[in-house]
Amino acid sequence: MSTASIPLTKSAPLSFETRVRSLKLAIVASLLLIWEAMARSGLLFEDVVPSIVVVVAALGGVLVDPVFYSNLAITAWEVGTAILVGGVTGLAVGFVLGNSRFLSRAYEPFLYYLGPTPKIIFFPLLIMWFGIGPGSKAALGALSSFFPIAIATAAAIRSVDPILLRVGASFRLSRWQTFYKIFLPAIRGPLTNGFRLGLGIAIIGTVLAETKLSNQGIGYLIIQTYTTFNMARMYALLLLLFAIAILLNAALSRLARRFGA
Amino acid sequence: MRQVGAQLRDVTRQGTANFALEIKDLLMQFETPQGPVVAVDRMSVGVEQGRFVSIIGPSGCGKSTVFNIVGGLLRGYQGDVTVAGTRMDGPHKDIGMVFQEESTFPWRTVIDNVVFPLEVSGVPRAERYDRARSFIRMVGLEGFEQRFPAELSGGMRQRVAIARTLAFEPKILLMDEPFAALDEQTRLLLGDHILKIQQELRQTTVLITHNITEAVQLSDKIVIMTYRPGRLKRVLDIDLPRPRTSEVVGSPEFGAYVAEIWKDLREEASRGMQDAEARSRSS
Ligand SMILES: Nc1ncnc2c1ncn2[C@@H]1O[C@H](COP(=O)(O)OP(=O)(O)O)[C@@H](O)[C@H]1O
Ligand SMILES: [Mg+2]
Repeated sequence: MSTASIPLTKSAPLSFETRVRSLKLAIVASLLLIWEAMARSGLLFEDVVPSIVVVVAALGGVLVDPVFYSNLAITAWEVGTAILVGGVTGLAVGFVLGNSRFLSRAYEPFLYYLGPTPKIIFFPLLIMWFGIGPGSKAALGALSSFFPIAIATAAAIRSVDPILLRVGASFRLSRWQTFYKIFLPAIRGPLTNGFRLGLGIAIIGTVLAETKLSNQGIGYLIIQTYTTFNMARMYALLLLLFAIAILLNAALSRLARRFGA
Repeated sequence: MRQVGAQLRDVTRQGTANFALEIKDLLMQFETPQGPVVAVDRMSVGVEQGRFVSIIGPSGCGKSTVFNIVGGLLRGYQGDVTVAGTRMDGPHKDIGMVFQEESTFPWRTVIDNVVFPLEVSGVPRAERYDRARSFIRMVGLEGFEQRFPAELSGGMRQRVAIARTLAFEPKILLMDEPFAALDEQTRLLLGDHILKIQQELRQTTVLITHNITEAVQLSDKIVIMTYRPGRLKRVLDIDLPRPRTSEVVGSPEFGAYVAEIWKDLREEASRGMQDAEARSRSS
């Protein structure tokens, strides 16, 4: 009878989510405060840790600067091409490996070895193949995103309930119909997650390549501000890059959740 | 040897035309690590157009093997399977399968599940949804069109699977223990649905089951199989009046049929049970 006193529903005035959200806000606020304190203490070079006011002003400057947008467009094209190429090839390779025990045993170990290697080591090669323009950056991004997408696809294909394939066979589906009517919808949850990982890695790969050797793109802008020692503008660009990556990630994880991953 | 086999097959290519489905001397052997297992041993069954035939036998006697062969999903058998007189080669457009396992597409709503076979064969959108709705009505699921399988009970999901197969508009409906996972009451009520559909469509139906009540309730003819190897033991005609409902279960004739079948099945079932016990003892 004593168990009757245990409440079945939470009666806390603030929901769990609200409390998490306020803590997040507090973390950001205190980080900003520490930053500002450091900037004002005079212990560090003013240029290395500029005041938030200065960074915000630079941010405003970047946001009205057409140069920023033309370079953003370049980077967006590179990342878009990277995820498209890496995604389609990753999907195709993952599909084949997921369907063949033989091929997966033979090839998948290589995916696992090569997957975590930093792809930037291939950048010199890619420059020779695709030139120093956006092509080589997109190629590096594609190479980076290929691995997580291929691995995620292969694993997802193997988890498809065989009964659904037997249903498809009994309805006399063609190979292609089996792929896009059964496999693709059955794996779209884990697949979206794979693409999310792939996209993050494609952004890293592309921007990193831009900082190495290029004359356009966000990575190039960042390196340029660094070499001209325009720290406030550099921080502004970094903040914008973070914001874009976070937004894309959030959009894709929402999609993945909708698909039940 | 192949040549001779091919010639012999040619001679018998035309099955007996008055059967909608005919199985002749079917033999299926599986290679297992413990050696070959004969799952089905020279079994012959003929199903007339529009009839409801049940194949009954204890678990492990080879029923699903027959189901998969007739459905065209399992090859490597010997003997003949003919549909309306012509030999089968892979899944046949006249045969619709309902599986024992949970088989609805979880990412599709009820109506989108039922529409599936029409969608893949390119029936225009408006028409296929109209047709799907009529099959949903037939299995008694109107009002649930927009639900997802996860929101339904097991019995409802199995009815979705049946409606989906009906939408394929097969000449022969082939079902492998479609109600095995359901409780007895649900099973009897779903039997009523099946009887009504049979009444309406006059569909040739082959039901595979291990449930005697279900077989007698629904069938015109019952084929009893032996356990290991799966052979034909006996064929029994069920002369219960149609239209039928589950109320037939209370009639003395019904009871007599059940007793009759149990007499034959008892021996097979106990052999199956001994086998299962021996297996679990040795493992
Ligand atoms: N793919 C297979 N490989 C080896 N043995 C099998 C295979 N499928 C079925 N069997 C064996 O064939 C026999 C009949 O199986 P099955 O047709 O599933 O029986 P039922 O459906 O009547 O329970 C069983 O002994 C089973 O172990
Ligand atoms: Mg079975």
